Order: sequence, then C-alpha cells, then structure tokens
Amino acid sequence: MLSNMLGSKNMTEKDWNNLLDTALPDVEKEMDASPFDTKLSFNMADDARKVINENLNIKDFHKKYHSKLLKEFGEEVGQDFASGADEPAQETDGVKWGMVIDLRKCVGCDTCTVSCKAENRTPPGISYNVVLEQEIGDFPNVAKVNLPRPCMQCEKPSCVQVCPTRATYKLKNGIVTIDNDRCIGCRYCIVACPYGARSFDFGESYEDEMPGYNDVTSPEYGIERGERKPGKTPIGTVRKCNFCLHRLERGEEPACVETCVGDARFFGDLNDPNSTVSKLSKSPRAFRLKSDLGNGPNVIYLK
Amino acid sequence: MATTAVAAPSARVKAKQSKRFKIWIGFLFLLLIAGGYFIVERLVQGLPVTNLSSITPWGAWIAFYIFFVGLSAGSFLLSTLIYVFGMMEYERIGRMALFTAIVCMIVALTFVLMDLGRPERMLNAIIYWNVTSPLAWEVHFYLVYIALLTTELYIAMREDLVRLAGTASLKGKVAKWLTFKNSTITESTKKRDHKWMKILGTIGIPLAILGVHGGTGTIFAVVQARPSWNTGLFPVIFVVSAMVSGTALLLAMYIIKKKATKQKIDHGMVVSLAKMMVGFLFIDLGLQFYEYLVGVYGLEHHHLEGLGTMMGSAYSWSFWGVQMFLGAAIPIFLVFNKKTGTNVNALLTAAILIVIGIIGVRFNIVVPAQIVPLFEGLPAGDYFPTFNEWMVSVGIAAMGLLIYTFGEQLLPIEEIQSSEKTEG
Repeated sequence: MLSNMLGSKNMTEKDWNNLLDTALPDVEKEMDASPFDTKLSFNMADDARKVINENLNIKDFHKKYHSKLLKEFGEEVGQDFASGADEPAQETDGVKWGMVIDLRKCVGCDTCTVSCKAENRTPPGISYNVVLEQEIGDFPNVAKVNLPRPCMQCEKPSCVQVCPTRATYKLKNGIVTIDNDRCIGCRYCIVACPYGARSFDFGESYEDEMPGYNDVTSPEYGIERGERKPGKTPIGTVRKCNFCLHRLERGEEPACVETCVGDARFFGDLNDPNSTVSKLSKSPRAFRLKSDLGNGPNVIYLK
Repeated sequence: MATTAVAAPSARVKAKQSKRFKIWIGFLFLLLIAGGYFIVERLVQGLPVTNLSSITPWGAWIAFYIFFVGLSAGSFLLSTLIYVFGMMEYERIGRMALFTAIVCMIVALTFVLMDLGRPERMLNAIIYWNVTSPLAWEVHFYLVYIALLTTELYIAMREDLVRLAGTASLKGKVAKWLTFKNSTITESTKKRDHKWMKILGTIGIPLAILGVHGGTGTIFAVVQARPSWNTGLFPVIFVVSAMVSGTALLLAMYIIKKKATKQKIDHGMVVSLAKMMVGFLFIDLGLQFYEYLVGVYGLEHHHLEGLGTMMGSAYSWSFWGVQMFLGAAIPIFLVFNKKTGTNVNALLTAAILIVIGIIGVRFNIVVPAQIVPLFEGLPAGDYFPTFNEWMVSVGIAAMGLLIYTFGEQLLPIEEIQSSEKTEG
C-alpha cells in the first residue's frame, strides 16, 4: 500500500510529516503515561544533544542533573551520576595505547624492524616487528603490499587466555606483557597467538658478529637485566613486542613509530576520542587483522 | 588351562629366563645411558639442540607427551572394563593396565619437562594456576589422576601383598613394608576392596575421559589460531585414539611377556582384545573421516592448507604411510583375515603396528598444523626432530620400561594365583 502511495503521487514534506505522526507514538503522551517526570526527561534529552554537539560540558551536565536524578530514581541509579562536586578526575579510564599503520604510506623499507631490533636488542631469530611483503596480481597488473606486523596488543588476547602460569597478562594501559621471571617456556602462547607475534628465546646471540652484544640488554618492562648469559632470563622464555613500554614510560614513542620513514605509523591513546589514533581508527579505511577471531587487536591498519 | 601346564619349570628354563631378563635390563640401561647423555646435553645447552623454532614451537616431545598420555588413559579405561563393568574375562591384565597407566603418565610428564624452556620453574603452573588455561588444568588433572591410579593399584594388589608379606623374597619384603604388617584378608575386607575399586574406577572414568585425555585434546582444540585443531570433535578423537593405543599396547605387552617367560597365553582373551582394539580403531577412523570432511567442505583457506600439509606435502608419508597404512590398513587386515585373525603372532604384529600408527597420529596432530604460516607472507615452518630429540625420547621411553620392569619385580602386578597354578 505504501509503495502504491509513493508511486502514485509526489510526496510533499507535509505528507512525510503526516506519515511520521501516524507511525510514531506521541512522546509527550508516552512519558506522561510512564511513572517518570516528563519535563525532566525532555530537558535531559535536549541537554544530552548539546553534550554530543560539544555545546555543553559533560561535567556541567552531570552537575545540573545530579540531585534531580537522585530524587527521581533513588540512590542506586543516581549514584552513578557524579555530582560534579568531588569528581574523581577520570580515574576509571586511563590511557589505552593503540597504533595505527597506514598501509598506503608504508614503503616496505623495514626500518621499523631494524629499529625494533636495535632498541630491544633482540637476539637472532627474534623480531618483535616484521614487515610481510607480498606481490599481488598478475603481470602487468601487479602491486606490492607491505604489511608491518607488531604485536596487536589484543583486547582479549589468546596468549593470556592459555598461559598456564599467568606469566603473560594485560596491563591497564592495554599492553600485553610477559613476566619473564615467571614464564616456564611451554610456548603454548606462541602456538595460540593468531598473529605469530611471539618468539621463544633460544639463547642465540650476535656476539660472534658483534663483539659486546651480550654486554647490554634492553631494559624491557623497565627491568635492567645486565649481561646476557646462558641460562639467564629471558633465555628459555617467550618474548614479544610491548610497544616499547620502557620508552613510553619516559614519554617517548615506540622505536618503530619514531623511525618510520614514511610516517606511516601513528601512536596514541585510543581512550581519548580526540587523539589522532582514535580519529584514524574511525576512518572508513580502517581495518583490523583477522577481526573475525574476536581478539580485538589494538593495532589498526588503514588500507 | 594353566593347571595342565608342566608341573614345575626345570632349572634350565629358569636359568635361561633369568639370563634373558638380564639381557633385557642391560639393554634398557644402555638405552637409558645413551639417552641420558642427550638429556644432559639438552639441559645444559637448552632448546637449541632441537629443531624447534618460534614458527614450529612444539615438536616431537609434545607428540610423545600426548602419545603417552593417550596410552595411559587408554590402559586405565581398559582396566575400568574389569573393575567397574565387571568384564572379568580380562582380569589377567587388570593390574598390568593400571601399572602401565601410571608409568605412562610418568613418562608423559618427563617429556613435558624436557620440552619446557625453563624446566626448573615447572611448579609455577601449580603455584600461579591460570584458570582459563587448559594446560594448567591438565597439570592438576594429571596429578590427581596419578594419585587415583596409585591408590587403585594398591587396592587391587592388596590381597596378594598380604599373602606375599609372609614370604622371604624381595617381593615379600616390599609387601611387608607396604601392608603395614597387620593387614588381613577376610570376607569383609574383600567386599570393602571390591567396593573401593568400583568407586575409584567410577571416579576415574570421567577423570580420564574428560580431564586427562579429553583435556589434553582440549589444549589443542581451543587454539583458534590453528583451524585444523579448532574443532569440537578434536578432544573426542583424542579419547578414542587413546582407547585404540591403550588396548593395543596392553595386548602387545601381554603377549610379549607371556612369550618371554614361556607362560601359557590366554588365546581367547587375546583374540577378543584384538577385536576390541580394531573396534576402537574403526570408531577412530570414522570420527577422523568426519573431521576431515567437514574441514575440507568448509573451504576455509587456512584449514585447507593445514589438511593439505598433513595429507599432500612432504609430511604426508607420516599420514598415509604410518597413520593409515601401518597403523590402520595392515592391522585391520591381520585381525579380520581368517588365517591371521587367530594367530597370536599376527595379532601381536597388529597390536605393535597400531601403537606405531598412533605415534604417527600424534605427530600428524602436532606438526602439520604448525607448518602452515599464520599469514600469507610469514615463513612456513620446517620441522623434523634432531638426533638429540630422538635420543632423548629413546632415553625417556627406556626409563619408562625400566620402571615397569622393576615394578613388576617388586610388586605383585601379575596375578599370583594363576602363576602359582602354573608352577603347580
């Protein structure tokens, strides 16, 4: 019937409004019928729109309605609505570190891989970051795709799920870390990681090609371990990218981000809606690797 | 049948047997020492002595670990047929099954220990138990399971221990120590022991199926990153193949032992066990068929590649040659062929081949899934165990056989009554 009507005559704005009025319930009537304050609900809805459009501060919004909500809904619901007087300044949501990698900017130079190895002084066979290079298409329509792959610092990491000793765990800031002093080296996490982002430290060394390599180790997770010796942690345990946590703690970006020649990597707080990474992560170009697995990677790619 | 045997074995036969026993023990010690050298090498140098890598982090030792857990679970479940379901025709192998189950668990855990990057921290899995980790659960299940098996074996042996406690032999001394001197056998203790065997066996069934072996399958099945493991059927196949290998192992051990000690073989039981073994094998093959069919039908790239690696790559000899031909086709033929189906030697061959076939099954589970790269562009794995890995495995297996052999010397694992009858 509706399609008939649409087909038979040109609808004016008035017709549309009429159609809506008949289809939608009357909000005022609905609210009156409810046990709640009609006026309060309308005012709150208006102000909430203002908050969304950034015409009103969320704190002022809370302050304005705190007492009214307490009266309307009682302690249980009203409590959640901060009074604004003694606001615990953003205690709940700290930073959540995330990375955005623009694949159109990546030239496949492997600088990230090299700088990562230099920064973390990873032994032979271990690269926290690698760049997967692939040629797609048939000649002459070929293209090269470079895919840098650090650890995804997943929201729900498989490695943390399977670790028998809780040696690998997620920090509040979103980084998945390893307690190398607890790790028993069972390598279940390597098997379970869908991104191949974990490596086992077999104890190899560059000492032969690079005298003095063993003398200094990277202060991963802020722990200074001194000389690299056989049988000494982290040898015999699992290692992984940790977004250069030791650099973050002194206010520096991860080494791969800092050195990227094409400026393809962005780093920041995904909890902050105004950060570059947050904005880029909402781009239509944004995608995550193996998103169907449900791990929720915090490394986002732009295609 | 036993009573019709020769009245008493002559001194010559006994001397020959003890010589044979010495050769056997000597051989095992030799293997243990040879393996021991490589175990020490592995402990000193760490895992670089293996062919493992970060791409293929699990290899031969994990395959042997799940193989021995399977043997253990299978032997134990066979013992429950006797003690819980009252199939007394298999009673001859009841204690053997329980003791085998214990030894196999010790062997399996030794393999895990060898495989850990930090063996000295093994207790961390208990101290810092992560409840979402199937592996951590397994460690706990294994310990409870070993405790249960030991208790059950003790109760099963108790009457014979009490009987032995009076004798002056080495077995008698051990028995005296184990029975706390004042034990007696009465109708009421018989009843009590029987009841406890049933209770422990009944607790043990879900423990062995869900906890120990299904759980070991779960370690693999929960790994979403490896589609060829990530199926609901996977733990079930683990349990069924455990039954296959457990039955085959006990059958082979029973025949070999009887032959070596020149005792009479219970022919009827051998044939019936062989039928049961092949029965389990058929269920196993059926489940595998569905597993592969569903996997292939899904056309999921990664899953196809995993199956392709197993069935149609340089690794496929292990699947077609060991798992399917040696471990399934030949044994099925041997058991069902009219001529060989009643021949003890042929059935022994079938049982040994099935055990070897299940080793192939375990390798085919562990290795091919880790050969396929997780992403296109990441390097593919390339794994074949090193000489060290083989020798460590030989050493650990020899250790298990030694424990079993000495255990049998010290404990009444075999029914005394029947051997008494044999000796007249």
